[in-house]
Amino acid sequence: MTIRGDCACKSLIKFREELCGDKVELLRTEDSYIMILADGMGSGVKANILATLTAKILGTMFLKGASLEECVETIVSTLPVCQVRHVAYSTFSILQVSKDGLAYLVEFDNPACLLIRDGSVRTIPFSCREIAGRRIKEARFPVRIGDTYILVSDGVIHAGVGRGPGFGWSWDNMAAYAVKQAADSPAASRIAHAICQAAWRLYGGRPGDDTTVAVMRITPARIVNLMTGPPKDPADDCQIVAALMEGDARRIVCGGTTATIVSRILNKALIPSLDFPDPDIPPTAHMEGMDLVTEGVLTLNRTVSLLRRYTEHPEPDEAFFIELDKQNGGSRIARILIEDCTDLTLLVGRGINMAHQNPDLPFDLGARQMLVEQLVHLMQAMGRQVTITYY
Amino acid sequence: MTITICIGSSCHLKGSREVIACFQKLISEKDLAGQIQLAGDFCSGSCAQGVVVTVDGRDVYSVSPDTARSFFENTILPGLA
Repeated sequence: MTIRGDCACKSLIKFREELCGDKVELLRTEDSYIMILADGMGSGVKANILATLTAKILGTMFLKGASLEECVETIVSTLPVCQVRHVAYSTFSILQVSKDGLAYLVEFDNPACLLIRDGSVRTIPFSCREIAGRRIKEARFPVRIGDTYILVSDGVIHAGVGRGPGFGWSWDNMAAYAVKQAADSPAASRIAHAICQAAWRLYGGRPGDDTTVAVMRITPARIVNLMTGPPKDPADDCQIVAALMEGDARRIVCGGTTATIVSRILNKALIPSLDFPDPDIPPTAHMEGMDLVTEGVLTLNRTVSLLRRYTEHPEPDEAFFIELDKQNGGSRIARILIEDCTDLTLLVGRGINMAHQNPDLPFDLGARQMLVEQLVHLMQAMGRQVTITYY
Repeated sequence: MTITICIGSSCHLKGSREVIACFQKLISEKDLAGQIQLAGDFCSGSCAQGVVVTVDGRDVYSVSPDTARSFFENTILPGLA
């Protein structure tokens, strides 16, 4: 079994603080996904330093293949000791899932990792051992496609404490809410966002503690074939379209001239729409066998700007999701690439489009090459596997 | 009669959205929905100074947002009879 991990995180900072005392590291190795959540003691700068050191040390050592004993011993002997409390302390959770489907979970004093499988909460059986005087929980188990793993800091399960009876949201209530969210919107970033939003409301907009959610969703490899641009040599038209049709993939055609070529080779009607969901982006079109057909450069430009926004602010807000859910071609490509693509195959034609060689136009339509390069760079930054073939 | 308006990148920048909106408005004003179909077309290669508009797949015109109304009145309407 080959799996992919869709990882995302979101934090709320404690009210009146500027720094978050929780820290998440999302890492990828050649053959695994690693998610680390550390919660430093206290809040503000001190907690931030403790959590950051812990997450970074764990991440770096894990990547290099160090044992858990070595990691924990290093943390215990490295963390600065708090002047007030005379301890060096940060909780942490580590979830590592290999691409062949095996998980390794380690927890130290954090709320238990939540597993949602087949729409319900499952418990993960673990064993305990003591390392450097710390009681560490450990589990190794196979994952399944469709699983959602959620790590939270205690700020999540205590959300709303003091504002009513009880001790806040509680793990069980948070889990029940997460199950609903996971069913509604399977993207990791949306689940993380939704849980944080709920905690924000429970806190009445004034989080009493740093509040952090990290989500890993196990998905199959989801391949997207995206073709853009006419081949330099029209004799290659057949070849590029054959590559577009290859494999069990979603197929996106990006470009008017490009779409015309695909339509001719496959002998399928190309039916452009006249709806303009966005005045700046030309309408999309319909073609049997294609998941999406759009105009080229203007649409790609919008897609690239959304991907950039996502990579620069990996904890998207409501406004970002509203933009992503819009029906213009640029948003629709971005949504597929962000939420439904683990492996991107780019088929790029390098033919010059004569219609675009017009210096009077207010946008450089010859920018396709540059946009494609940015797209590759951004997708790689998001941890997606990209292959590119030029024609 | 079918009026096809290019919505490719180049024509888009030259105002195909405004041309389409103008035609749609005139068709509804003059109650011609039964006689005229509007369609979109990706770049047909015949890029001109303005937005490429094709009538019944034969006659190709160059229309801009400024000339859309007069084009409709002077070229499309007489052709309907």
